[in-house]
Amino acid sequence: MATYDISVAHLYGDLMNTYGDYGNIIALKYYATKIGVTMNYHLVSLGDRFDSSAFDFVLFGGGQDYEETIVAEDLKQKATDLKQYIEHDGPLLAVCGGFQLLGHYMVMADGKKVDGIGVMDHFTTNMYDKSLTVLSGKRLTGNIVIKNNDNGEEYHGFENHQGRTFLGQGERALGTVISGNGNNGMDHSEGVIYKNVYGSYFHGPIFTRNGNLAKRVLATTLQRKYPDIDWQSKLNTVPTESF
Amino acid sequence: MTLKSTLARTTAKSAHWLLHDVLHRGGTSLPGKLAVSIDPDVLKSIQQDFDLVIVTGTNGKTLTTALITRVLQAGGYEVITNHSGSNMIQGITGTLVTSKIKPSANGKKPVAVLEVDEANVEKIASAIKPKMFVLTNIFRDQLDRYGEIYTTYDKIIAGIKHAPEAVVLANGDSPIFTRGDFPNERRYFGFNHVQPAEYQPGAAPINTDGILSPTDHSVLHYDFITYANLGKYFSTTDQFARPNLRYQVTHVDELTPKYSTFSIDNTPLRIEIGGLYNIYNALTAFAVGREFNVSADQIKTAFESNAQIFGRQEAIHVDGKDVTIVLIKNPVGTNSVIDMMLTEQDDFSMLALLNANYADGIDTSWIWDAEFEKLHDTNIQAVATGGQRYKDIHVRLKMAGFEDQAIYQDLTRIVEAIKAMPTDKVYIVATYTAMLQLREQLGSAGYIKGGF
Ligand SMILES: [Zn+2]
Repeated sequence: MATYDISVAHLYGDLMNTYGDYGNIIALKYYATKIGVTMNYHLVSLGDRFDSSAFDFVLFGGGQDYEETIVAEDLKQKATDLKQYIEHDGPLLAVCGGFQLLGHYMVMADGKKVDGIGVMDHFTTNMYDKSLTVLSGKRLTGNIVIKNNDNGEEYHGFENHQGRTFLGQGERALGTVISGNGNNGMDHSEGVIYKNVYGSYFHGPIFTRNGNLAKRVLATTLQRKYPDIDWQSKLNTVPTESF
Repeated sequence: MTLKSTLARTTAKSAHWLLHDVLHRGGTSLPGKLAVSIDPDVLKSIQQDFDLVIVTGTNGKTLTTALITRVLQAGGYEVITNHSGSNMIQGITGTLVTSKIKPSANGKKPVAVLEVDEANVEKIASAIKPKMFVLTNIFRDQLDRYGEIYTTYDKIIAGIKHAPEAVVLANGDSPIFTRGDFPNERRYFGFNHVQPAEYQPGAAPINTDGILSPTDHSVLHYDFITYANLGKYFSTTDQFARPNLRYQVTHVDELTPKYSTFSIDNTPLRIEIGGLYNIYNALTAFAVGREFNVSADQIKTAFESNAQIFGRQEAIHVDGKDVTIVLIKNPVGTNSVIDMMLTEQDDFSMLALLNANYADGIDTSWIWDAEFEKLHDTNIQAVATGGQRYKDIHVRLKMAGFEDQAIYQDLTRIVEAIKAMPTDKVYIVATYTAMLQLREQLGSAGYIKGGF
């Protein structure tokens, strides 16, 4: 029997790992193992090159403000390779700070503006931005439920962020907010989908609580690497964890 | 003392007497509130009566404060201290204004040893100048309530700045305590039990927080790690390294779930509680004791004669089962508990109870950062899960490879759950409010006495 494996890059897994983001890798590995696929984990951190052809899936999690500024600086030298990975339909999950840094910029609570790498078209302002008309000056914290506009799936999680993200060209929301606040508390969008990139503020972590999404991203990842096999059917045999 | 402050103290004392001795209710917040409402400067009026030691940090404050208290008492000091439930400004004010302050047997000033919530350090330090700040550790903890680790440390520093003369006695194994711009003298304690020949230099595992060097923001490496980001760290890009330690664990001899034996500055010691993290608590108390000139022998005696205070990890019996209850609230604490389970020689079962009320932290995502996968290296035979968020903890353990689980949605079945475990030894790990519910059930079934 043939053996199948996927290589996962955890971007700054030693620095951007604050809110259970690693759980996304645990969940992906869980479903992969159920269908006989092995996962290889790689940490890609400060000073390391990101080789866009070496990975089948990328996780870019959230961190604390201090770590995030250090990462933002280092990320510049990975920008071209990351852009290439994304434009070649590479699957990527970006949570919170990771989501923010793939866009143009983010503004921290203290007003400090940090440049993102602009490989996607969103931007993030802070909770004190004068243009905010809702929940100005407050962190967006609490349980959240959203509904995916393409397939009607519901995703459950917990959000805790001060940043307010606004989507740009070619980007659509991961879902519409049913309860909670989402990207900015104003336009009812939560997260982003761009090609095979998924961004979100969910700390849930999103793949652990939403097996439907985890399995869909895993199927995409495997289909891209091994196109001759019907991965979705294989994954349909595995019970979906959802809570 | 002014008339106003005398009145404030008298009122607080009678309120305390009424609550405590007549109504048999605990609590020092109300007397504190009353005293402050009569005289906002009531704390200033009593500060010359004692030296203040503030104990703060994420994990281990309560046991450390209790240990310091016993150590200083063994050295002949009169000690005032607070209960863990009253570690914020009002509770502390209540404690201080209602305490009878007697002279120390050793002729020195009495000492107030206070466990202080990180966010309340400045409030206390601005009211009474502390003689010493004791910093245990800072880990991420219930981020929905406390925020990030550097924010927490900034709050503590704001307090330290009110007392530039105070000594800062800090855990030198934690890189964060080398940060901060304040003039106070810093003295450090830590672990030095590994010989240079056994060093294994390298970076910390991925899910470790607080690993950037304060000098150039490079990732720190370690000669050895005790747990989390604690250990003997150094920079690979410049001269930055762990500071010199004034007090150190020189040997770790035996680690078991029930006790540990080790040496501090070559004095052999034993504490009646498992877990390497509790050796840090003992080390902290040792360091404070030595700073107050309590001898190593007196400290040893204090540890040995106060076995009952190591009661936080509660051991009870349920129809022949040997049950240990441990509180969990954040990834580092949970990993420490799992490390402790690695020292269990007998087969055991684990029951994990997760709630997400305000006191537990309403965000449960931290369970994914605790390394439950490591339980496969222990003698664990069975896993059960429960609590309000039983689904979260069930899936967490399932994805850690424990597919076969009994699930208890309802904690009223907890005694039944314990009895159903296949081993004689049972560990129950529970978040704060789950633990209260558990204790209530065990109390009404007659397995534990009294309230809590
Ligand atoms: Zn976040």
